[in-house]
Amino acid sequence: MDRSSHSRSRRLAPIVAVAAAAALTLAGCSSSSGGKKSEEGGTAASAGKASTPRMTVALVTHQSPGDTFWDIVRKGAQAAADKDNIKLVYSADPNAGNQANLVQNAIDQKVDGIAVTLAKPDAMKDVIAKANTAKIPIVGLNSGLSDWKKLGLLEFFGQDETVAGEALGNRLNSEGAKKVVCVIQEQGNVGLTQRCDGVKKTFSGTTETLYVDGTSPTAVKSTITAKLTQDTAIDHVVTLGAPIALIAVQSVSDAGSKAKVATFDLNKDLTGAISKGTIEFAVDQQPYLQGYLAIDSLWLYKNNGNYMGGGEQPVLTGPAFVDKSNVAKVAEFAAKGTR
Amino acid sequence: MSQETQPAVATPPAPGPKEKDGRTAQRPLVLRVLARPDVGVFLGAVAVYVFFLISAPPVREASAMANILYQSSTIGIMALPVALLMIGGEFDLSAGVAVITSALTAAMLSYQLTMNVWVGVVAALVVSLGIGFLNGWLVVRTGLPSFLITLGSFLILQGVNLAVTKLVTGNVATDDISNMDGFDQAKALFASSFDIGGVQVKITIFWWLFFAAIATWVLLRTKYGNWVFAVGGNKDSARAVGVPVNFTKISLFMLVGFGAWFIGMHQLFSFNTVQSGEGVGQELIYISAAVIGGCLLTGGAGSAIGPVFGAFMFGMVQQGIVYAGWNPDWFKAFLGVMLLGAVMINLWVQRTATRR
Amino acid sequence: MTDNHSTTHGAVLADEAPADGAPIVELRSTGKSYGNIRALHGVDLKVYPHQVTCVLGDNGAGKSTLIKIISGLHQHTEGDFLVDGTPVRFSTPREALDKGIATVYQDLATVPLMPVWRNFFLGSEMTKGPWPVRRLDIQKMKETADRELRNMGIILDDLDQPIGTLSGGQRQCVAIARAVYFGARVLILDEPTAALGVKQSGVVLKYIAAARERGLGVIFITHNPHHAYMVGDHFSVLRLGTLELSAERADITLEELTNHMAGGAELAALKHELSQVRGVDTEELPEEEDLTAPVATGPEGKS
Repeated sequence: MDRSSHSRSRRLAPIVAVAAAAALTLAGCSSSSGGKKSEEGGTAASAGKASTPRMTVALVTHQSPGDTFWDIVRKGAQAAADKDNIKLVYSADPNAGNQANLVQNAIDQKVDGIAVTLAKPDAMKDVIAKANTAKIPIVGLNSGLSDWKKLGLLEFFGQDETVAGEALGNRLNSEGAKKVVCVIQEQGNVGLTQRCDGVKKTFSGTTETLYVDGTSPTAVKSTITAKLTQDTAIDHVVTLGAPIALIAVQSVSDAGSKAKVATFDLNKDLTGAISKGTIEFAVDQQPYLQGYLAIDSLWLYKNNGNYMGGGEQPVLTGPAFVDKSNVAKVAEFAAKGTR
Repeated sequence: MSQETQPAVATPPAPGPKEKDGRTAQRPLVLRVLARPDVGVFLGAVAVYVFFLISAPPVREASAMANILYQSSTIGIMALPVALLMIGGEFDLSAGVAVITSALTAAMLSYQLTMNVWVGVVAALVVSLGIGFLNGWLVVRTGLPSFLITLGSFLILQGVNLAVTKLVTGNVATDDISNMDGFDQAKALFASSFDIGGVQVKITIFWWLFFAAIATWVLLRTKYGNWVFAVGGNKDSARAVGVPVNFTKISLFMLVGFGAWFIGMHQLFSFNTVQSGEGVGQELIYISAAVIGGCLLTGGAGSAIGPVFGAFMFGMVQQGIVYAGWNPDWFKAFLGVMLLGAVMINLWVQRTATRR
Repeated sequence: MTDNHSTTHGAVLADEAPADGAPIVELRSTGKSYGNIRALHGVDLKVYPHQVTCVLGDNGAGKSTLIKIISGLHQHTEGDFLVDGTPVRFSTPREALDKGIATVYQDLATVPLMPVWRNFFLGSEMTKGPWPVRRLDIQKMKETADRELRNMGIILDDLDQPIGTLSGGQRQCVAIARAVYFGARVLILDEPTAALGVKQSGVVLKYIAAARERGLGVIFITHNPHHAYMVGDHFSVLRLGTLELSAERADITLEELTNHMAGGAELAALKHELSQVRGVDTEELPEEEDLTAPVATGPEGKS
């Protein structure tokens, strides 16, 4: 080392001192409001445990890291697994090819069942056929409503994104909306595009699409602000994810617009915003239910030969509307991270 | 100075005070000004601005400009230390996720321990500077390209952000801290707005310009600034003349840590919660703003004012397309074309100016 | 910084010991191994003020290892390295600089994209004002750089131009002027003429002479015996990591130096081979016995 190390440590000394002083005063720094202490304890719904033999089920999704939505799916799946004496193996990759490899991996492990999302059905075709050859029961969830049967899945749990979009469009009609902007946070995502297309199909006013950079909240905020300034006729902002909806609320106030915010999907903070009235309503596809049913269905199939939906029809988990009238009930569960 | 008493050495002819070496005749002032790297990007930014002024009427409103500048400032505050680091010859690919790491640290620490949010803010600063220090220390110690080292820390932070958040909160986003003690003061510092002539102007714009002024002064008027250019331009010769190369590089990485902390705090106090998966890809935007701003990818040249215009150009194009109401399916393509065009103007100005 | 500089510089200007006095830098059978590769072995070298000590050698002879030891980039692994009679072991170039040993490298003399004046003061900048607003004293630095360069006979119109726009010779000269200004007592020049044309080399040689006039001890590394003989007072020839020749100017002719440099004994052997080939005139080439200059024999003898 050259002598820079000395000068560095000299410079660091005051920083260390400040940090130490800060640590000493921490005790006097506790917050009198909010925080963990104000949070009420609560446990997730739990039932008794089945006495059936231990089985292993793989859940393979196209989740990208850090998406709140998938967190809820996984919680539902885990709850079902705990109840059914199942060992749940969770894996995810947003890249379709990688996701197919993860399914192959599960087949190689000789699991007792697989639950898989079909964000890009064509990429999963071969590997699903392999699972069927290996006689591993495989069910679908969340996305792939139009393809699950064709690909040979036993059952499907999810929401038809287009149907959900259409329902939201109808709701906007009854709210008296004239012009809507549909905010897509990931350009090229099939499910997100279907939602906006569904809105466009049933909504009687004008629907515009806006792409934002979902990885940067500040970019989302200013882009929505820009759109609302550019087109002052917009009276509703439709977002496709809970965090984006909360940012859109800020954009609306920044732009001085009178537009209302409606969204797909839910989370804890969003239920708060609905009860406060800053967000009008949310369309929930009940991700917890998707995860729960997918795992539970594999248990039923294995132990009792049951097919949910009779093996012909998909099991729809949405769209379920959450607005001021029913938010109080939902909020309770959302606080626990299960809605 | 004692030299005056010493006669000039015999061998070289004693020069007259006004003697000129004909080979280095001065080029016209205009060309010399145009040859400055930040002037090219300035003209590029002006071109983009004028373009949208014409094609997107809402841009003419002061409130739209405030929004564009806000977006530019959140890029620009990070682009500044990233630019200084680039002048110093290094990269930091972890800059985007480091912002989120900082915000997560502050949010989770305050919330989980139910502390005043300032405790979290200070802890986040320590963590951010620590990440910068580690990046820098690994780069100078191993001598590996910073591209590789920080690619590693980028992946590590991405994973740690997610895993730790999940572990601590049970979710992938932090809890709302907006009703906690100290939140309002912190929001005033990091994320408030001012009313200027009826237009809401975000405080980050002032911070951005303030930091840019300081960075310019440091770069051009201090010893440290001299060292930054030297370690980026020729590390070995800088070391040979006694510049503390390791100190300079590590401190530059820590400066990026400081920027990440500041933007992280801004995000936390404007959105109340942080999602652990955000920030990925933002590092490229910071690096682009620095490069568009005339910083040499290989180090040793650049300015602090150039990245200010680089960030503005980015923000302007990003928002301008929306203001212009163009078909959003083409958004990314427009963005790319506009940026390429702006960089071309920049390059053309440089070429014209440096041609003798 | 300015004050600090004046004192070190003052020390330089104070009358140094004459050429026959104590050496500033002395190597005593110094060597350096990198792992199990022995790059340098048993080298003796003395550098006096007012003298140009030339170190010659072919590629790979150990010249660069030698200067790296003296300039503090590497540490020796054998023998002793003394400055002013005291054994030293530098761990950074800064320590060598503090002892007045400055090195001008052939390729890394300067930072090409930085202006001339910033290069001149790099690492020893002049500042003014109290912390935290301590800033560069640009006016003074520019004036000083201009004066110092003119004193060395280097005239530049624009000190703000990047130093990379100067010619190779000019760059070397700026680096030499910088070392002289910052109170160097020993100036190590690493192949300063290697990449230069004839005229440019002449300019550099003039500055070497100028530096000697100012009382510096100069270590001039080169593989060009003609350049060395023009300014050198003492000649050391390195060969495969050991000292092959160490001679005062009075004891050696250019011809002998050239022969040693060109390979001495091996050249004589080559002569015999070439004489077998028709058309090669070997009469002009020296015989081995012509090499009369004193030959330094290391512990292991010649290679």
